[in-house]
Amino acid sequence: MKACKLVLVALFGLGLAAAASAETTLRIFTGGQQRPDVMRKIADEYQKKNPDVKVEVEVGGATSEAQQQYLSTVLSSKDSVLDVILIDVIRPAQWAAQGWAEPLDSYLGADKAKILGQYLKAYVDANQVNGKLVALPYFADSQFLYYRKDLLEKYKRPVPKTWDEMMDTAKVIMDGEKNSNLQGFATAGAPIEGTVCTYLVPLWGSGSDLTKDGKLNLDTPQAKQAFQLYGRMKQAGVLPKNIAEIPTDRIRIDMQAGNMIFGMTWSYVWNRLETDADSKVKGKIGVTMLPHDPGGKSATCIGGWQLAVSAFSKNKAEAVKFARWLSSPEVSKMQAIMASHMPVFPSVFKDPEVLKANPWFAEALPVVEGARSRPVSAQYPQVSDVIRSNMNAYLAGTKTTEVALGDMKSRLTPLFK
Amino acid sequence: MTDAPVTTHKDLSERTLGVLLLLPAALLLLVIVVYPIATLFWNSLHSVDQANPQTGEFFAGLDNYTRAFADDRFWSSTLHTVLYIVVTVPGSLLLGLGLALLANQPFKIKWPVRLGLLLPWALPLVFAGLIFRWFFEYKTGVVNDWLVRFGMDPPQWLSDPTLAFWAICVAIIWKASSFMALMLLAGLQTIPKSLYEAAEVDGASKWQQFWEVTLPMLRPAIFVALIFRTITAVQTFDIPYAMTGGGPGDATETLAMYIHKTTLDFLDFGYGSALATLMFLISVAATSGYLRYTRRSSGRGKDD
Repeated sequence: MKACKLVLVALFGLGLAAAASAETTLRIFTGGQQRPDVMRKIADEYQKKNPDVKVEVEVGGATSEAQQQYLSTVLSSKDSVLDVILIDVIRPAQWAAQGWAEPLDSYLGADKAKILGQYLKAYVDANQVNGKLVALPYFADSQFLYYRKDLLEKYKRPVPKTWDEMMDTAKVIMDGEKNSNLQGFATAGAPIEGTVCTYLVPLWGSGSDLTKDGKLNLDTPQAKQAFQLYGRMKQAGVLPKNIAEIPTDRIRIDMQAGNMIFGMTWSYVWNRLETDADSKVKGKIGVTMLPHDPGGKSATCIGGWQLAVSAFSKNKAEAVKFARWLSSPEVSKMQAIMASHMPVFPSVFKDPEVLKANPWFAEALPVVEGARSRPVSAQYPQVSDVIRSNMNAYLAGTKTTEVALGDMKSRLTPLFK
Repeated sequence: MTDAPVTTHKDLSERTLGVLLLLPAALLLLVIVVYPIATLFWNSLHSVDQANPQTGEFFAGLDNYTRAFADDRFWSSTLHTVLYIVVTVPGSLLLGLGLALLANQPFKIKWPVRLGLLLPWALPLVFAGLIFRWFFEYKTGVVNDWLVRFGMDPPQWLSDPTLAFWAICVAIIWKASSFMALMLLAGLQTIPKSLYEAAEVDGASKWQQFWEVTLPMLRPAIFVALIFRTITAVQTFDIPYAMTGGGPGDATETLAMYIHKTTLDFLDFGYGSALATLMFLISVAATSGYLRYTRRSSGRGKDD
């Protein structure tokens, strides 16, 4: 009897060991805003193709900052629990400096140039730090100008090209509609990551930049005008009074309720405005490139999410294989159709099925191709904090242009030595 | 004589047993309290800047501390923290005392009152912060809704530094006063009824009873409550974090928020540790102030 039991236990143990050796478990981390439901479906697809691999999807953090705070804790302690991690486009420099991401160059081998050549160039640049490939692009994103097609038609106004045109159009429509809930224009103004772009977009749109040859470049008239543009909009009543309290998703909520004429926001908004049951603006929304200064050129912040393989993963080879599949035209297309995530391959933008689900992608491609990176720095979180808190204070009216710009300069200078 | 060695033996074994029984708890404390605090202090004397890992970790002496003293943001966030303490500690004490006196009334059904006291305390801090953020929201908040109904201009509570400060204070006082009330209610229930009966016989009014009986008898409970509240007020984080994120600019940022940002966002563990050590010193200073006061007053009590 006893012997029988022992044999059974031994057999059971052997069976377990066999099962364990046959199956690799990969754990992928994604944020709550990056459609974890879609990630799960894609992972199921991968499991079907690779029966020896099991994929677990870990979801955490509703904002890029919250996700990074969690990941900083996990990776600072060299924890091997995560294999593949979705990271924001602003992170590769920091991740390279920390040594958190497994450099992927050797895995691509001799084909590296050929493989990278298929992606949108902006994403190849964003994911390479000092010539090393830190992560692979998962989906693309950038900011666009969302506008109310129906209202522009009603007042016979063209789609605005410059900030002043947009302001005038907004005023005309607001005066005509006499609806106190209708706001002219909004962008992120709360002290959050998105507010960095609120400052950079008009700065770039005027032909200038935050840095020049790696040195801080804020002694220009354009550096001031990027603040003053919003000051003028606020005075004209085009910006909401509480602009300093507005986070990214609030713009979508107000547009969806029919309370906003123009909004500067990201690509996820389209899908929600067109498909959410409570959307009052279905079929009434147009998407175009952001306005600029009369002498300048439209500019936008590059966004999107990248696939990094944890340097502490115990299944690096399998993890890289999975990440490479996730970063393929096949998955790019699946995401575009299921979540209107913008593809990272120019070829997928032109796919008929993708265009059927997202007709505006045809116009979006040139915008994404021209999208620019926020300052690349291993200390990006500090750079971001300085820009967003000063922009937020300016929008709240607690700092003048001079004070906000002065504080920004004095605190950014040591970060761009 | 014969008994003596036996008792010592018994004493010894009892002592060994006592030490043995304490050992697990002591070890646990060593691992989860002493070790992190020691590491924190150690880090505060080193340059541990993970955003610049190429600089490595090295002994920096008091550099992190001198940096803090020259850092505007350290001073402004400390000032905000002190202001929160100055307003919310007395504020929650007064409101808490009122609630405790109310709950101590001989109601027929006691549980709704007790539950009302417990609920705000049981609510997670960040929840309370979010709820009050929605209360004070410019367009959809209930506060501005009422102001508009009374024909007033709706203020921007959360993007005006002064208004945001007061809005946050209201939220903290609401949240903290239930804890104060619970502590004080426990104190109130230890006061013997006979004292009030005696006071009544002596012809003391309700007001006099409160001043002459309730308050003096409640003093130990008040001190304990104040110490706890002050320590948590030094660490104020969740409510301003949820309500304003420190904004506008960093006008409502507390020291704890700045430490969180320095370590978890900026990954500067050395400097963050120095800031945390300084915050710990502020806590110690505030608490020892209370302790000295209570010791002096209880000493006086014995002399009488």
